[in-house]
Amino acid sequence: MSSRGWGLLRGRQKTASIFRSEVMSLVQLYIPSDVARYAVSQLGEIGLVQFRDLNSEVSAFQRSFVSDVRRFDEIERKLRYLHGQLERSGVDVYEFLDDGFVGSSRGPRDIDDMEERISAHDDRVQRLTAAYKNLQLKRLELLENKYVLEEVSSLFSEMSGRQATGGPRGGRASVATGATGGLDAAPLLARVDTSSRRSIGSLDAVRGHDAEIDIEVGDVGRDINVGFIAGVIPRERIATLERVLWRSLRGNMFLNYVDIEDPISDPKQEEPVYKSAFIVFAHGASLRDRATKIAESLGATLYQVDSSAERRQEDLIDTMSRLDDLQQILENNAAARVNELTGVSEQINTWFAVVRKEKAIYHTLNLFNYDANRNCLIAEGWCATNDIPAIQSALHLATEDAGSNVPTVLQELRTTKEPPTFIRTNKFTDGFQNIVDAYGVPKAGEVNPGLFTCITFPFLFALMFGDLGHGALMTLGAALLCVYEQRLAWLAKSESLRMFYSGRYIVLLMGLFSMFTGLLYNDLFSRAMPLFRSGWAWPADRGGEGVTVEATRLGGVYPIGIDPAWHHASNSLLFTNSYKMKMSIVLGVVHMTLGICLQVPNALHFRKRINIIHVFVPQVIFLFSIFGYLVFAILFKWSTDWYARDAAGELTHISPPSLLNMLIYMFLSPGHVSESERMFRGQAALQTVLLLLALACVPWMLLVKPLILRREHQKIVSEGYGRISSHVRASSDGEGLGAAVIVAEQEEMEEDDFDFADLMINQSIHTIEFCLNSISNTASYLRLWALSLAHAQLSEVLWTMTFMPTLKMSGSLQPAAIVCGFAVWFVLTVGILIGMEGLSAFLHALRLHWVEFNNKFYDGTGVKFEPFSFRAVLDEAEEQQ
Amino acid sequence: MGGALVFWVGVLICGLCAGALFTFKGMSDPTLWRTCTILTLSCCYLMWAITYLAQLHPVIVPKRDDLRIDL
Repeated sequence: MSSRGWGLLRGRQKTASIFRSEVMSLVQLYIPSDVARYAVSQLGEIGLVQFRDLNSEVSAFQRSFVSDVRRFDEIERKLRYLHGQLERSGVDVYEFLDDGFVGSSRGPRDIDDMEERISAHDDRVQRLTAAYKNLQLKRLELLENKYVLEEVSSLFSEMSGRQATGGPRGGRASVATGATGGLDAAPLLARVDTSSRRSIGSLDAVRGHDAEIDIEVGDVGRDINVGFIAGVIPRERIATLERVLWRSLRGNMFLNYVDIEDPISDPKQEEPVYKSAFIVFAHGASLRDRATKIAESLGATLYQVDSSAERRQEDLIDTMSRLDDLQQILENNAAARVNELTGVSEQINTWFAVVRKEKAIYHTLNLFNYDANRNCLIAEGWCATNDIPAIQSALHLATEDAGSNVPTVLQELRTTKEPPTFIRTNKFTDGFQNIVDAYGVPKAGEVNPGLFTCITFPFLFALMFGDLGHGALMTLGAALLCVYEQRLAWLAKSESLRMFYSGRYIVLLMGLFSMFTGLLYNDLFSRAMPLFRSGWAWPADRGGEGVTVEATRLGGVYPIGIDPAWHHASNSLLFTNSYKMKMSIVLGVVHMTLGICLQVPNALHFRKRINIIHVFVPQVIFLFSIFGYLVFAILFKWSTDWYARDAAGELTHISPPSLLNMLIYMFLSPGHVSESERMFRGQAALQTVLLLLALACVPWMLLVKPLILRREHQKIVSEGYGRISSHVRASSDGEGLGAAVIVAEQEEMEEDDFDFADLMINQSIHTIEFCLNSISNTASYLRLWALSLAHAQLSEVLWTMTFMPTLKMSGSLQPAAIVCGFAVWFVLTVGILIGMEGLSAFLHALRLHWVEFNNKFYDGTGVKFEPFSFRAVLDEAEEQQ
Repeated sequence: MGGALVFWVGVLICGLCAGALFTFKGMSDPTLWRTCTILTLSCCYLMWAITYLAQLHPVIVPKRDDLRIDL
């Protein structure tokens, strides 16, 4: 391998690749105070630096720029208020962003201007809204008053109408003097049953007293001191009001109510409310007071109603005209509000973006250290070493923006701190990297499984989802998403569709690989495709229902995929199960071998040669001596003709061996292979050697590495070197910057106290885990077979149950049946086979990567690099909205 | 034809993989595209070879019991 190749394996590559995370640098920035805001703004635009908090001991309220953050919080609150008002009054928000203002660096004066304008808008809208609310309240009052007047007069006129006819049997409104209650407590009784009106009175009293005193209704109050109150109450409360009044006034009342047909919109409530107008007659002022209190406590609004009909009429007319006036004013107010808000709607998105950016700038400035002596801010942060030139040019731009001539100084620090992991993904690899990150973020410098996942993930998925037709549909869907990705970017904002959109390249590859595996499985919606000449021929002269016919071998092997002759064979499952099981094992062992081999670049990068010789090598030997041998046996069995005859016409082999038994007896009776199961000469000896090799590897893995580490440690101790003292402080004030320079803290050296017991326990856990896992993980790959079997069978069943019967039908209804059958079949194919089966295959492929592949080499204990970037800030804010 | 085909296709695939190591020079992330090409070629080859080998010396013969006699 060329030297460049080795450099790549060791992780010293300069070109960016997702094989490893980027090489990171800890940089220190000295930013003059007057440039600081511009510098952070420019850095936020490029989004390449992750700032460290240098004031972690200072609480959030004591930081230097708290007042600025508060100021923008306040402006944002105002904007949110305006936005809410926009939504309430149905004014459309312009999607337009004023790029000049949002993008470039704004001066403080622009910000002041903006704040002033927002405040002015906010003020005006608030005043208009308050006025609008007041007017609405007034309108509500007038409206209710109007209804009360109308309904009360209808109640009155109804009662007086009955009075005029004087019929004793019809509904009557009469007052009976109760003998028990005395004059003052004379119960009012009435019984008016109409569809929408009901009144309540003391019925018992009616029965007991025949003496009836008819009264002139209009003069109720004056004649026998019966007055009334009238008002409006929500409709569902009327029954409660009735009951409570009845109980508390002991029946000495008379209540009548009318439902107001139109709902009344109350500004205090969200929805318009249905209300009823009611009138309560009660005897005596004290009872009326009580009734008033009860009614008000139940949420009724009482209105003054005159008892004389003419006065009521006058009031009504007066109320109506005032309502009209009010309506006019309300309309004017609403128009003014919409006018005002339209002005806001054009700018509000721009303002939101600017305010959020400014707030993020001051939040970031709060992370910096202020050096009062030199009037500059000191920032520390991580960035990719490759990005330093871009950062420097951004800083240069910021200096120009600020019109300053003091440059910002960028300085790289030497540190042993663990850098955050920055993997430069593109839109293709992003989805796959997310799959890996969900398991664990790679440590800095560690081999990133995301690179391999890009292909192995869709491939393992496709093994379980193999069908040319299903794969083609999936590819089509994903290809549409990929081709129109710009136009469909809005999908990313939808909660449920985001998954599909962000994973569109994963789905595309899954579809493409499924088409390939479907071609090899020879499945097109569970139908066979006779693309090439079959290797088998069915006899034409034999057959019939229930007669088993064997195909005859023609000689050739079907070149690509499974021979279509197997498709309708009664023993096709015997063949496909054996084929798919063996394929799962072979591919599983290859996949795991790849995982184990990836330990090598890791060991080279972290300079741990011991991991190659005493971890990687025995692991490979162990895996290969058991499962490598199994793979070999599988291939050997396939490539041997077990029914070949020698020149004399004798069978050269006794029978094809059972590989499962072979593997079991390799452990149970080492050194012995029964004659009928023998594959090749020397098999017994080879198996014994392999078994011994595997056994030898166990103590090798278990003991050698800890013992070597202990010897090295003892050597160091015996030579008199202690541990390197912690907290080595590498001060970086080479330029004489003085005491205020932030010292790059050399973290404690990684070499912790050497604890042999700890090491041994770790190593034995690792060894046991590896040995057991190599068995269970190999078995785990059998899920490839199981799911692929389930998928093929399910799609076969779906075809024969829904679509096939319609094809075999006869009669005039067949065309319609075919259309229906096809529709049902297609919907179920997409919903169950592609949707649900796809999901389950996805999850199983995920597991094979997370567990079976990753645990061979991957730590995944890194911390993700999260640079300060306006785009992230704005996206986050949008999500919260 | 026969088992040798698997070997020769294997040689061809190895050649293609080796060729892939020297292409994609101009791309932004050559390692990614090289790895993807090599992995795709090897995955597809493996699966094809396994399928081919599985049918090379069949141990069982397809049987049907629903054949109609052509008269």
